[in-house]
Amino acid sequence: MKTHDINELLDYFQDENKSFSFDENAIAEAYQDDNKNQSLAVKVISSFGGILASLAFFGFILVSGIYDSGLGMSVLGGILIIGSVAINKAGNSTLLDTASVSFFLAGFLLFGMGISTLHTNEENLICGSFIIISLCTLMLAPSYIFSFFSVLILNGSILTLIISNEHYNSVHIYVSLLAFVVTYLFLHEAKIITTHKTLAKLYKPVKIGLIFSFLAGLTILGTKAFPLSPNYIWVSSVVNIALIAYLVFQFSKILNIQETKAKIGVCIFTVLILSPTALSPAISGALLVLLLSFYANYKTGFVLGIITFIYFVSQYYYDLKFTLLTKSAMLFATGVLFIALYLFTAKKLTSNEKI
Amino acid sequence: MNIEREDIHIVVRHSNLTEERIAHALQEKVYNDQTAWYKFLRLLFISLGVGFSVAGIVFFFAYNWGNLNKFTKIGLMESLLIVTTILVLLPKMNSTIRNVILSGASFLVGVLFAVFGQIYQTGANAYDFFLAWTIFVTLWVLVSDFAPLWLLYLVLINITIILYSEQVAYWSAIFVYTVLFVINAIVAISPVFFPAKKIPSWFVNIVTLGAITCATIGISHIIFDKFRPTSLVLILLTALTYALGIWHGLKTKSGFYLSVVLFSLIIISSVFLVEKLGKYDETLFGVLSLFIITSVTFTIKFIISTQKK
Repeated sequence: MKTHDINELLDYFQDENKSFSFDENAIAEAYQDDNKNQSLAVKVISSFGGILASLAFFGFILVSGIYDSGLGMSVLGGILIIGSVAINKAGNSTLLDTASVSFFLAGFLLFGMGISTLHTNEENLICGSFIIISLCTLMLAPSYIFSFFSVLILNGSILTLIISNEHYNSVHIYVSLLAFVVTYLFLHEAKIITTHKTLAKLYKPVKIGLIFSFLAGLTILGTKAFPLSPNYIWVSSVVNIALIAYLVFQFSKILNIQETKAKIGVCIFTVLILSPTALSPAISGALLVLLLSFYANYKTGFVLGIITFIYFVSQYYYDLKFTLLTKSAMLFATGVLFIALYLFTAKKLTSNEKI
Repeated sequence: MNIEREDIHIVVRHSNLTEERIAHALQEKVYNDQTAWYKFLRLLFISLGVGFSVAGIVFFFAYNWGNLNKFTKIGLMESLLIVTTILVLLPKMNSTIRNVILSGASFLVGVLFAVFGQIYQTGANAYDFFLAWTIFVTLWVLVSDFAPLWLLYLVLINITIILYSEQVAYWSAIFVYTVLFVINAIVAISPVFFPAKKIPSWFVNIVTLGAITCATIGISHIIFDKFRPTSLVLILLTALTYALGIWHGLKTKSGFYLSVVLFSLIIISSVFLVEKLGKYDETLFGVLSLFIITSVTFTIKFIISTQKK
């Protein structure tokens, strides 16, 4: 960003705010700093590059013979993790970002493999230490990619802990908690980023990391791979649908619905429409991500929401134990319902547009 | 001025702005407003409506009801098609909604041919089924000029070619990838020739990704294959297209083109290294990890420096 643009930006905030003070040099510097201002393309390429390089590096360590020593592997893994975070914190330059991320990920791989050869009850120990390490990394607030991978490792470890200990139904608690946290992150962006500098820095990578984890949790709820008790499958749905109803209530202000009665009516209608999906919490979860991302104009989340929504809806009908004819009637009825909804709201949704 | 989320996040970190002020700025400058919500809801409802209805129709015919004779089945499909087409011709309709309905109708054409295949036992994955589907939606695709419908059309063309090579022509993998690359690359480049047209970037990006994936896989095949002069076609075309992609990326400062082209080159070079070094030993993995780290680092550095200018 050029100097006059920054001035214009600051003018915008200056307008009505007399007590506004800022560090202009720091802001100009932030725009010069590559690490704080990366496009999505750069983030994706450094994530994929980091993963590829870490796998190659992991292969290098394995064939070099260290595979025989569990202790050697875990120590080296630990050194790699600590070293890469230290380099990232100290240098904070793009030049070292890819290298340090791939050492960071390879470190986790080595550390995990090392422990698994040393210990008998290895899953709990590995996941436990991964959780602690990723939390510590997050507290240090490293670069975007580091925080993003830390969130993924943290959530992946929690999920693995739940599954390897066969507490399958706890997945519901985990997914519901994630639904709350993700919703909170979206609705309170201003509060979070003004509370503390570290939180402001962590906000974006943690948000996208949690969205990925939430959708992954929903996918697990949808697959038949784990013996989830059918008696509790609605638990996550209730949370998701309740959150969506809350959002609808909140957003009705934007939609120019003023009366409380109308607001409650719209909420009840939403709950009714979503209630047939109670046995497939993934659908309402994807819809939650979709709505939140649209509200905050967050494109990555929006695209993820659309893709997973289509996927989960398809899976829902694929898994239903009805004949194709019954399914066809259900689908067609849903379609007609939405077309009716469209026709019913179309006039209102167009007429106000020009205001 | 155009203030984005990133700008607000940067100012927050170096100023004393309050939560209320930031919330206000986000609402005003970043978050979607009433107009956007209305548009979104309208599109959401009609897409869900058309999508579910078409899915219902697909399932109905997939059920293959024995009591329904073939005349009724095809007759039902055809009348559905006629009804939707008449709907589209209704004058007082928003053009996006019209296009959504036309997209639904294009799916119905596929169902019609599937029903036809069901009755006359031509098989559901025969290439001529997809060929017929492709040919008979062509006119609608051209008339509506609707990006999602174009994407469906392109997917149909790709599937037809793949099935044709598998079932009839028995082309080599390299040749199939060459053909697919050429078709998708032409579509991806086409916006350059229609500067006046507003083609959504998501469409161009998806097609570009598809074309580059074909090129990457095709060239990886060539590297492991024994050398044939015909392979040069894909290599030359890819080189030309990539050069064009980088030139376009530099001109428009688009990180997308630069990163996909360079990342594809990194993968191709890595495959080349694996082939040349042969043995899966320390040297291979060491060289590979060093190569990926350095090349990705320089790619990122390069992209950032071009975007800064």
